[in-house]
Amino acid sequence: MIEIKDLHKNFGSLEVLKGIHLHIKTGEVVVIIGPSGSGKSTLLRCINRLEETTSGTIIVDSYDINDINTDINFIRSETGMVFQQFNLFPHMTVLHNVTLGPVKVRKLSRTKAKKVGMDLLIRVGLGDKANAYPDQLSGGQKQRVAIARSLALNPKAMLFDEPTSALDPELVGEVLEVMKTLATEGMTMVVVSHEMGFAREVADRVFFMDDGVIVEENTPEMFFTHPQHERTKAFLKMVL
Amino acid sequence: MGFEFKYSVVWESIPLLLVGVKLTLLLTLFGLLIGFFLGTAAGLGKTSRSWIFNKISGVYIESIRGTPLMVQVMFIYFGLPMALNTRIPSLLAGAVAIALNSGAYIAEIVRGAIQSIDKGQTEAGRSIGLTQFQTLLYVIWPQAFRRMIPPLGNQFIISLKDTSLLVVIGVGELTRTGQEIIAVNFRAFEVWTSVALIYLVMTLSLSKILSITEKKLEIKA
Repeated sequence: MIEIKDLHKNFGSLEVLKGIHLHIKTGEVVVIIGPSGSGKSTLLRCINRLEETTSGTIIVDSYDINDINTDINFIRSETGMVFQQFNLFPHMTVLHNVTLGPVKVRKLSRTKAKKVGMDLLIRVGLGDKANAYPDQLSGGQKQRVAIARSLALNPKAMLFDEPTSALDPELVGEVLEVMKTLATEGMTMVVVSHEMGFAREVADRVFFMDDGVIVEENTPEMFFTHPQHERTKAFLKMVL
Repeated sequence: MGFEFKYSVVWESIPLLLVGVKLTLLLTLFGLLIGFFLGTAAGLGKTSRSWIFNKISGVYIESIRGTPLMVQVMFIYFGLPMALNTRIPSLLAGAVAIALNSGAYIAEIVRGAIQSIDKGQTEAGRSIGLTQFQTLLYVIWPQAFRRMIPPLGNQFIISLKDTSLLVVIGVGELTRTGQEIIAVNFRAFEVWTSVALIYLVMTLSLSKILSITEKKLEIKA
């Protein structure tokens, strides 16, 4: 589903990604953890080209995303992105947020899009908030709307960029719950997160990133109980 | 003998002044309408990554903002026709000057409002597969436009008052009408008082309309 070969990313003279290789299969849930500044978010943002790649290849759903012949808007619509800061459109109702993609990108009729949107809002437990505006919602509710907005395009994979980091502790659970359901339904997911519990419970594989490289990857059991690398051990000691 | 304010002069002047008001409003409306399009284009040009759009917009904005409106008016009415060996009606020259002038200031308002919208909004729009133009149209512009209203209102009021400068090319707007009345009756105090009050009524109404629009478009929270 997602294949990355020797990905490098520089911001000016600062090399943030120093040769990333990874392969994520369809239906797999991968959680990327690591200290801040390790390049986790940059890696995720490269996958739907919110950041331009400096060198290397990224294949998403058999399309080379940096190929000039690839329709990047199409690829983006096939890979949902959930942001730390939600980034809902504040001037639109919750339902309108969710239906914008289906109507403008997928060219669905308004009636059809509304049906899709309502179904999704009910799925994330916000059917009663369809006509509310984002600023009237709690953080957890906003993030669930953001997930519904991405799902409305029926994507093949979902990217989560620290989806619970901006939430009050008591609101984290409701968002993780939605993500868990999504994982059990077979969605391909790449999640940058500090939620070790979620990684342990839901991930098929856990990647540990530090200083622009993937230091270690393993199944959650092995990763948390038998970390191989010194840097992983040191990090886990600090967060667990 | 003390000065006596003759109300009768005011009443007699008003019908004449209203003819001037009509031109003032027409010039303002036309000038701002074109100015808004020019300003939007130049403002978007300034936020564009295209070097050429950026430069063209920059030159336009800086050259207009860096020269006095009075000079621009005379350049358009007296200067340009001489170089082009033609004549243009003073009303047209006046409207063009107001449009060009307000456009440059509106461009900066548009640019500032667009750049004030969080980058995450663009990213969210692009991430659901919207094109750059769709993102601008559906996500950025509606939010930016709300932020433009107060400074746009300011610019509208400035442009309305700026039309008075068109007396120098003989456009028969409100100020010019005032001058003409005084040339006949010599009652400068009454006539300028009336003229000032009429400008004040127009600018206050404009402020009111804009504040109502702003309330109507407010994002619900």
